[in-house]
Amino acid sequence: MRDWIPSFLLVRPSLGSFRLEGKAKISFLEKGLHHIGEAISTAYRQWESTSRNGFLQGVDARVKILFMAFFLVIVSLKRDIGSATLISLFFFVLAILSQLKITYFYRKILFLTFVFGFLIALPSALNVAREGELVLPIFHFSKSRELWIYHIPETIGFTKEGLHGVAVLTLRVFNSLSLSFLILHTTSFPEILKALRVFKIPDTLLLIIGLSYKYFLLFARILEEMYLAKKSRLIRDLSHGSARKWIAGRITFIFGKTQQRGEEVFKAMLSRGFSGPIHISVFAKLGRWDWSVGTFLFLAGVLILWI
Amino acid sequence: MDLRGEEVEKMIVLDSASYKYQDIISAISNINLEVREGERFAIIGANGSGKTTLLQIMNGLIPLSSGRIFFRGHEVSTKSLKEKGFMRFFRERVGYVFQDPDVQLFCPTVLDELLYGPLQLEISKEEALDRAFEIMKMLGIENLKDRPSYMLSGGEKKKVAIGSVLTTNPEVLLLDEPTNGLDPKTQCFLVELMLALNEAGKTLVIATHDLSLVDELQATVGVLSEEHRMEKTGSAIDILKDEELLLRVNLIHEHIHRHGDMAHRHIHSHYLFHRHEK
Repeated sequence: MRDWIPSFLLVRPSLGSFRLEGKAKISFLEKGLHHIGEAISTAYRQWESTSRNGFLQGVDARVKILFMAFFLVIVSLKRDIGSATLISLFFFVLAILSQLKITYFYRKILFLTFVFGFLIALPSALNVAREGELVLPIFHFSKSRELWIYHIPETIGFTKEGLHGVAVLTLRVFNSLSLSFLILHTTSFPEILKALRVFKIPDTLLLIIGLSYKYFLLFARILEEMYLAKKSRLIRDLSHGSARKWIAGRITFIFGKTQQRGEEVFKAMLSRGFSGPIHISVFAKLGRWDWSVGTFLFLAGVLILWI
Repeated sequence: MDLRGEEVEKMIVLDSASYKYQDIISAISNINLEVREGERFAIIGANGSGKTTLLQIMNGLIPLSSGRIFFRGHEVSTKSLKEKGFMRFFRERVGYVFQDPDVQLFCPTVLDELLYGPLQLEISKEEALDRAFEIMKMLGIENLKDRPSYMLSGGEKKKVAIGSVLTTNPEVLLLDEPTNGLDPKTQCFLVELMLALNEAGKTLVIATHDLSLVDELQATVGVLSEEHRMEKTGSAIDILKDEELLLRVNLIHEHIHRHGDMAHRHIHSHYLFHRHEK
């Protein structure tokens, strides 16, 4: 049998140890793949939290979607800090009752609120954007100036009215994100899609979104595996050039695979009776618990509106 | 010590190794394992028991959630693999053949695929070419050298994937379901190839649920349970005759079928046990 084997395979590598050659660079490829891994991880975490035995998990997705739409309107109607804080507290209690991991849940919300709420709104608190009672001066000129359509006052700083506006806007963003994340972490993606039918979104569009989501996760997995396969054969640092070449090759591969998978799915649909119109399975009737929770959430919303 | 009483070096050692996929789903749990130099080691278990994860951990591709892994006495970790010298030392000695060759083959042609490893090792182009052609001859794929991987059949892709790893002359070959989905002739060829490589001194670690492969290779066997634990380790003979164990880990099952008017119930594995009860 040994005659089969090329002679170089019979040579044993020198045993013993290795020479220290310094740290290998982390390629941009690894960083990019890390983000794809995070996307898969998020999907897993959501799936895991939707299957817990919490308060909102047991409620029909249609009730939750209507609750979300109703409260998004309430969040945008309330313009005072007290009401906005009350809404935040209400969502916090719902998150606890739904057994969500609070730190993980609020980490992303706070980051997004800081970037898309606070940072974006902050310049509007300056007296350059809107006049008001100066509470926090930050820069002083010798005299006031006119610049295009703006009036630059002698002292630039944050105004009381401006800071109030920033606080309200930040709280609104925070509440809207908390509400969306609350639904996403207590309802599985296919259920959300089905529930969107209450807004008369066409079934075809829902099917396409559902398939896209499934494909994204599927190809993220393939991509992760391809990277591991590359890593297992990587003996030296990967240069940027060769990483780019590898990516180009793999994009072609994924493209081909997507096309092939698309054709296969279509054939499977045809063989199972698809003839044009799409029919998504219908929901069961709402139960007593769904009605009770729905009524409670509706009354809570009305109460917050009234306050 | 091996059967002849000679000192054999521990090649791969896993010490209380656990891994959770995405920190949520347990894939392997508290595994202790030793693979010795020149050994044929088969990891068997039902689908989802963690065989692939275990191989990927042995190849340092995914970091352990807890526990440790050693290769020739050196700890393999995210930190140690960042050291260029160790990464080279480890990667040129441990080759991994993925279950799906599509994810592994990324070069334009078969020849490029076989040259990739040796050229990375900075072996001269002449020697790299010699290696590639010798491997192609061994695998009977010389006629495919200029083909891109997407123009190959499943069996051909598998041969190229194995060849692409062999050209770097690794000491250890990790093979994930090597015969899965292949026709009987290619399966038979691969079994003979694995035996020949092992005879040539290569250590083989195979993940499979194919009990006939385990029997043919007469490997040392580690059985993974559906709870992702190492249920038992032993010789192929001992493991394959332990029906209770194989039933428990879902590698064989009870099965009812008819012969004319007679109905039979027996243990069924699509391999060894097809013994009718009276």
